[in-house]
Amino acid sequence: MKYALAALLLMATPALAFPVTVKSCDRQVTFDKAPTRAIANDVNLIEMMLALGLRDQMVGYTGVSGWKTLDEGLRSGIAELPELSAKYPTREVLAGAEPDFFFAGWNYGMTVGGEVTPETLAPLGIQVYELTESCIFVGPKSKSSMEDMYADILNLGTIFGVDDRAQALVAGYKARLSEVTAGVDREVPLRVFVYDSGEETPFTAGAYAIPTALIEAAGGVNIMDDLEKSWATVAWEPVVERNPEVIVIVNYGDVTADQKIAFLEANPAFANVDAVKNDRYVVLEYVEATPGPRNIAAVEKLVAGFQGD
Amino acid sequence: MTETPLATPLHPALRLTRAAGFALGGAGALFLAILLAVSIGAVAVPLSTVWGILAHQITGLVTPDWTPGREAIVWDIRFPRALLAALVGAGLGITGAALQAVTRNPLADPHLLGISSGGAFGAIAALLHTGLFLGLLTVPLMAFGGALAATLMVLAAARLTGATSADRLVLAGVAISFIIMAGANILIFLGDPKATHTVVFWMLGGLGLAQWGHLIYPLAVLLPAGLWLWSQSAALNAMSLGDETAASLGIPVARFRLSVFVAGALITGVMVAFSGIIGFVGLMMPHLVRLIAGGDNLRVLPLSALFGAIFLTLADTLARVVMAPEDMPIGVVTGLIGGVFFLWLMARRT
Repeated sequence: MKYALAALLLMATPALAFPVTVKSCDRQVTFDKAPTRAIANDVNLIEMMLALGLRDQMVGYTGVSGWKTLDEGLRSGIAELPELSAKYPTREVLAGAEPDFFFAGWNYGMTVGGEVTPETLAPLGIQVYELTESCIFVGPKSKSSMEDMYADILNLGTIFGVDDRAQALVAGYKARLSEVTAGVDREVPLRVFVYDSGEETPFTAGAYAIPTALIEAAGGVNIMDDLEKSWATVAWEPVVERNPEVIVIVNYGDVTADQKIAFLEANPAFANVDAVKNDRYVVLEYVEATPGPRNIAAVEKLVAGFQGD
Repeated sequence: MTETPLATPLHPALRLTRAAGFALGGAGALFLAILLAVSIGAVAVPLSTVWGILAHQITGLVTPDWTPGREAIVWDIRFPRALLAALVGAGLGITGAALQAVTRNPLADPHLLGISSGGAFGAIAALLHTGLFLGLLTVPLMAFGGALAATLMVLAAARLTGATSADRLVLAGVAISFIIMAGANILIFLGDPKATHTVVFWMLGGLGLAQWGHLIYPLAVLLPAGLWLWSQSAALNAMSLGDETAASLGIPVARFRLSVFVAGALITGVMVAFSGIIGFVGLMMPHLVRLIAGGDNLRVLPLSALFGAIFLTLADTLARVVMAPEDMPIGVVTGLIGGVFFLWLMARRT
């Protein structure tokens, strides 16, 4: 049944002939056929699968309800799929769903040296593709860029034999991106700080996290782009010192964006920070601020937020 | 608080049969604990399937009528995990018993001498900073190296401060522990905060990394080191009476204590390398055994190993089902369940 479906897909698209090999972080992974029983971890990765029309090749997902709520669009997209684990899955939970493919990333469902890694899943017949943004956890990588997200979409397209769909999506993203950033003034980039969470110390996006690329696309500069890390904790002092003109709030979990803004407003230490003084905040949902199809909408939001006076 | 090392005299023949009975009963209990651990988990696999898979893998006589995923769960995930739990429990139990004897400190446990913090330091350094430059065994190797380095530091510190008595050796161990833990925390702070997930695993311990190919390492250390410790039961009994008494019985006290430390460090180091820091077992199992079987180390050591194995296998089973589909950190289970049970046992026996 499933094979028939895969065969149909293969006939319908001039896909690369299997076996195909894609680069996943520092590994070369070869697929003899398109996976038919995939699992994806976290909302942004699930969205990539859905954008490629791969829901019928999925048997479940993990790592969503433990941290954030699904929005309506996504909820209907995966309505009939089971959530196998609210947070990071164990090997047993994954094996129980008899998958042949796991789409995850480092700190997106897998931890370095943890129970679930490409190496530990291989004996169970589960192949893994890793989110490009997260590759910095296992080796050197170039600075975050929109190309990281495009690469993930194109690689998934290759793995599932839906290359033309992937290429069409990416072409669409690129077109839309140049559309929304057409009027952006890049003379003097706005200083932007990403505030994810934390009161004692802020959790933010460094050079390797996708918001750095989103902010640059929208004509700003991440004031923490010299931080040689992905998502990381910094001190408040450099934030105040670098005086961001706009603060991007990542919205998810228990503390609402409004509460995060209220915290910034109430603290006298930030009274002289331009963004706080002028009330310039842009709220991005978690799924917009992590690599995935919604990054384009995120850039659009940022452009609008940066242009406001 | 010193235990009487003299067991109640029994007729030799009777003593032998009782020991044999104990050994058989214990082995049976451990077998049942492992069977239980393999039978239950986050994914519901029918018992008939579980036992069919075991029979198929062990004898090859059963025709599979189950899915590959089920087979992987039972044979590649649960079974090695149960065996790792038994090995780690046994190692911590016997090390705790031996260290309590040579330090004459009822609160001595395998994590006392900087061994575990050294192991955690090595593992964290590997995970957050050096990367897996030795392949899949990088983390266990670094953890083991860290554990041994910490032990050497404790011994060097003891020598430097002229501490040969048990109490001062323990103090040196505690001090070194603090220093290494501070170092580990610096590594965590400098590393990526999203890696805290991994670090938490290391600090609280867990058996989720178990796989067939790794079981040989803890076994290869536990067997010789454990048997050597057991062979020293008479000397350990003498040590429990105090240094002067032990010396008068012809035991080279300071050197013997160091040998026991090194054996304990080897065992604990390799256990920490594959399961992180699991508390309680090494501290409490010997006391449990002494409550039941008296203070003779000839019995206390093997029984501490056996009880540790059974206890940790059961505790890990509980950790896997209590919050399913997520694993509860094993340290929470050992501390909470074990502590309450131990208090109940003490209350019953006084």
